[in-house]
Amino acid sequence: MKKTCLIPFVLLVLACDPEPELISVRTDATDTTHTGMFILSEGLFNQNSSTLAWHDFSTGRTESWQNRQGTSYDCFEKANGRRLGDTANGMIMYGGRLYIAVSESGTVEIVDPATCRSLSQIKMPDAQPRALAAYGPDIYVCCFDGTVARIDTASMAITGTVQVGRNPDGICCTAGKLYVSNSGGLDPDCPDSTVSVISLDTFTEKTRIAVRPNPGRICTDGTSVFVISRGRFDYDIMDYDCRLHRIDASSDLLTDTYDIQALNMDIAGSYAWLYEYGSTDIMVMETATGLIVDDSFIKDGTGVERPYGIKADAETGRIYVCDAADYVTPGSVMCFSSDGRLEYRIQGIGINPNTIQFYDSQVRPDEDSQAALKGHVAKVFEYRPAPGQFINVMPQYEPGDNDSTMAAKCLALLRGNGMVSLGGFGGYLTAAFDTAVANLDGMDFEIDGNAITGSAEPGVVWVSADANRNGLPDDEWYQIAGSEYANSVMEYEMTYTDNDGDIPWTAGDGRNGSIRKNIFHSQSYYPLWYDEDSCTFCATLLPDNMEYSNGTWIMSAFGWGYADNLKNGSEGSRFDISWAVCSDGTPAGLDHIDFIRVQTGVIGYNDLTGEESTEITSIFNLHAYEQ
Amino acid sequence: MRIAVCLSTAVLLCLPVKAQDTLRTEDIQEVHINAERTYGAGSVSNEKKADERLLQATGALQVSDVMKYFSGATVKDYGGIGGLKTVSVRGLGASHTAVAYDGVIITDNQTGQTDLGRFSAGQTESVRLVSGPDNEMLQTAAMAAQAATINVSGHRPELDGEKFKGSARLLAGSFGTLNAQAETDFRAGRNSVATAGVEWLQSDGDYPYVQDNGSSSTTLSRKNSDIARLRAEAALFSSLGASDLTVRAYWFQSQQGLPANILYNENAANERLWNRNGFIQSTLRTDLSQRMTMQICAKYDVARTRYLNPSVNSISGVTDNRYTEQELYLSAVLMYRITGRLSASVAEDGRLSELDGVMVRPTRGTLNSSIALKYASERLVLTGRLNHVATKEDTRLNTAARNFSHLSPVIGANWLIWPALGLHVRASYENTYRLPTFNDLYFEQVGRRDLKPEQASVTSGGIVLEKQAAGMSVSIYADAFNSCVRDRILAVPGKNTAVWMMKNVGRVTTHGLETGLETACQCASVRTGLTASYTYQRAMDKSDASSATWNHQLPYTPRHSASGVVFIETPYLNASCNLIYSGKYYCNSYNGPEYAMPSYYEAGCSLWKDIHMEQCDMCLKAECVNMTDSRYELVRNYPMPGRQLRVTLTLDL
Repeated sequence: MKKTCLIPFVLLVLACDPEPELISVRTDATDTTHTGMFILSEGLFNQNSSTLAWHDFSTGRTESWQNRQGTSYDCFEKANGRRLGDTANGMIMYGGRLYIAVSESGTVEIVDPATCRSLSQIKMPDAQPRALAAYGPDIYVCCFDGTVARIDTASMAITGTVQVGRNPDGICCTAGKLYVSNSGGLDPDCPDSTVSVISLDTFTEKTRIAVRPNPGRICTDGTSVFVISRGRFDYDIMDYDCRLHRIDASSDLLTDTYDIQALNMDIAGSYAWLYEYGSTDIMVMETATGLIVDDSFIKDGTGVERPYGIKADAETGRIYVCDAADYVTPGSVMCFSSDGRLEYRIQGIGINPNTIQFYDSQVRPDEDSQAALKGHVAKVFEYRPAPGQFINVMPQYEPGDNDSTMAAKCLALLRGNGMVSLGGFGGYLTAAFDTAVANLDGMDFEIDGNAITGSAEPGVVWVSADANRNGLPDDEWYQIAGSEYANSVMEYEMTYTDNDGDIPWTAGDGRNGSIRKNIFHSQSYYPLWYDEDSCTFCATLLPDNMEYSNGTWIMSAFGWGYADNLKNGSEGSRFDISWAVCSDGTPAGLDHIDFIRVQTGVIGYNDLTGEESTEITSIFNLHAYEQ
Repeated sequence: MRIAVCLSTAVLLCLPVKAQDTLRTEDIQEVHINAERTYGAGSVSNEKKADERLLQATGALQVSDVMKYFSGATVKDYGGIGGLKTVSVRGLGASHTAVAYDGVIITDNQTGQTDLGRFSAGQTESVRLVSGPDNEMLQTAAMAAQAATINVSGHRPELDGEKFKGSARLLAGSFGTLNAQAETDFRAGRNSVATAGVEWLQSDGDYPYVQDNGSSSTTLSRKNSDIARLRAEAALFSSLGASDLTVRAYWFQSQQGLPANILYNENAANERLWNRNGFIQSTLRTDLSQRMTMQICAKYDVARTRYLNPSVNSISGVTDNRYTEQELYLSAVLMYRITGRLSASVAEDGRLSELDGVMVRPTRGTLNSSIALKYASERLVLTGRLNHVATKEDTRLNTAARNFSHLSPVIGANWLIWPALGLHVRASYENTYRLPTFNDLYFEQVGRRDLKPEQASVTSGGIVLEKQAAGMSVSIYADAFNSCVRDRILAVPGKNTAVWMMKNVGRVTTHGLETGLETACQCASVRTGLTASYTYQRAMDKSDASSATWNHQLPYTPRHSASGVVFIETPYLNASCNLIYSGKYYCNSYNGPEYAMPSYYEAGCSLWKDIHMEQCDMCLKAECVNMTDSRYELVRNYPMPGRQLRVTLTLDL
């Protein structure tokens, strides 16, 4: 009888099994210093589960979305529709862009932080890119195949590689040099034990500094380089024995070895924050002296159980620690105040979170403002202005800027409350909408500028559909045939030459003149980030729209179909994709567009207002909120 | 002709025979007894068997394919013919499932996993899965100690008075799959028959899959999924008065690529694997007296593995590992019939394994002992067994892992509660273990010598009904089970995150229900049949109440899974359809939505015709596997093949 009793009993047990509980992501962490932070989680090896989370400090929320399976915190997959890849080891923020090294997928992703969209996925198969550093116009990535690759931020392409030691695991940059820790970690019985020094002038390896075996994490305070060496694997204790080295960056000599079992560190200002093997606390070292000024930074008794990454915020003094939980379930980020108290913990952020980068922007990519910006351009591919009085000001040029950082600034202005100047005739900007703009009945998109009655500076509009679906504006371009199409000169060429004062130009038909310097704008009128001393543009030349009348200069508007021509929000600022024509003037017949280009189309100058230049403040899809 | 014999024996599941297997074993060929027990109505545990018909109807190419139709079994499949295929039973984990070939366990002390994909269905006469204690008294001590056993029975000759029989089979399928097989059965002396066969299998495995690239998805084809395999086998069966002797020699060699997971790195798939495995095994069964039967087995096995990864960023630039595992195995079982209803047996197994190719060169001696008592009346079967294992670990270098000794009890009961309906109730309890593998113990940096074996216990109870009326038979079973695995051996990171290590940490409790149905019906010359199964498994992580994975479902274990096969046989044409369904499951021990794997199903069908000619019998078969082109991944990032077509021609001389 025992057996017959068993069956109902077991069925009862089945019905009473507890359901799994999921980690709830805490989302009330705010901070006024930064817009938010990106948290990179490497996921599990060979699971393709690296993720990028975005936590918005203004709302205190971690961006989430519903994918096929449920709630996801991976803003990369949300924005790109694909996963980041396998084992994303490193991430830096530079020039308004995020660079992420994805080791096992063999890729470096260049991500626009405003949209989380991947601008480029650089493939480095078998190289195992691990860690990143930046200097000038370049990003340097050390790869486990024993190389350091240089990526040009403008072209987003690899422009060179240099051989270093075995399995470089960390990279940092100071004093015009790169320091690369050669771990040799793939040969645990004979690890490498050097730090390569690469001269940035020549991009060649200058020397190798001998350190203890298996060096890993490497950081600099500007004058010294600190590197953690893990030593040889000790089979007696079945573990590593870590130390911290200091290398003097002026002499490239190993000057100190500290008896600290450091596992990881971050340097901000003149202090290094370290966590040690076997400790649940954080110690603070003064980098100049090497003295431990606080061996117990955490004051409220919070234990850091499984630290997997550390980030010190120089601006606020806050210390962020990534906690890997049990290494297979989603980890968390802990934020400590500058006086060592736990402010908050964001749980369930991703598996094995390892890197945090802050993001500051006028454009807050939180969901509310994203919603408000629905339909707007999401990416600026090219900003190639012709010289002009607003160049280097709108947007503001800063030393070190390049094509890509200037394009990123344009995007911020177009999505914020700013204005972008295209300069004189021929200057242009190429952008992509967040989603394709459909060619429906009536007007399809709008371009806003600063046109008012009597002050039109018309720009010619070109459109393109991503026919080859590669996300790049390398497809056929079609001109919007506005009211003056029949009176325009196609492919009119103009060359500007760099000069301190007036900028002289010569046109393809022999006509010449100059962009004259005025007293209102004293900066250089030639784009300072251009490498060449002269720049040539080829554009559609519209009829002259400037005349002197009743004691003032009038720049009259054309009928329709031009940017910065008629009042914002009016029908005259709007465009119908059906107006697009092929080069032979026949209708293009586009059903949608993905890319847009605006190009200054007039040559005009007067002493009062200076040269004519097209300005734009925003570009957006008029159907964005239609179903 | 052979099919017809199996047909009749499989259908006629008659009760008296059940008792005979203990009472009068000596009079009945083992092959017949096995063929009669599809669901083992008289068994104390849940057991399932796939005979040639089910292997045929499910369109199985590999033994792992047919395992997907067994309730309670969870197949982990990396896709394609070459992808690793392992089976976990009742949430215990794949290493708790023993795979035996003709009753002798195939061990892999290095990884603890036996790839079920290496057995092609064509070479197999039947596959039997027993989840829990087996009724069989003449069982080796090593088999008796396992929580679940999969026994693959190789081909046995049936000459029916003829001197010689031959058969050849040729299969061609999608993605460059070619399978050729030739087999011959012949008389070898007055009391002996022998069989020899050879098989070749190759496949390009370059099946298409969809890579999701965000805005667009591209269809790529699987790379480095090719495989070439050779199997040669010969066996001798002798009857010498009261003794039966079987000697089998087996050779297997393969060369294959290891398909990588679909990361965004297209160059990643370049790892290669070579396997060579040969064994010779012999079983002697003899009746020492009316009451006493003895069985002796001996086996020598050598397995060589070479793994090559030609692009590694280490000094040598390659990983080229070669391992050789050798094993000597001896087993003796003595069974004594005390009375007509009561029998006892004692079994002793010794196994010596050595792994070469790793620095430490581990050796393991295992001594399995087992004593059992069985009471079997017409309506009641009671079994009790006590298993003991002792190990002796040795290494050439450094210290060896600790030796291990463990005593585990097994009990079971089956009661024919309602004879008119053929309704049995059954229950069993089993305590088992799995030894740490050589990788668990000695793998560089990760392995830990202080590991204990994993402990498992399974309690099961259920009903089974077998009934046949005129031209019709029905079998139904439903078993509920509760299993618990303690001291699970898992890789966990140390305090220093760079160092992972093996540790006895986990605990898993599984509650589940297995049900199955088999009906067959014969009407004149038309036969139809239906086999269906359903499994509910709630495998909960019970390692640490404070952890985020507490009560979460074990990865790769769906809560609900089901399968069905239906066939019809007519004198003109035979047809079958099959379906597998798996509910949602997770690829991580944390059941977050990002790790959910969607439910899937796979359906297939086949048509075949037997043509009888004067000289030979011919069978022509056409199959469509995954006919709806269902796209799914069983293991995350390892896509399974879509629709495939296969044509098979079999000739029997």
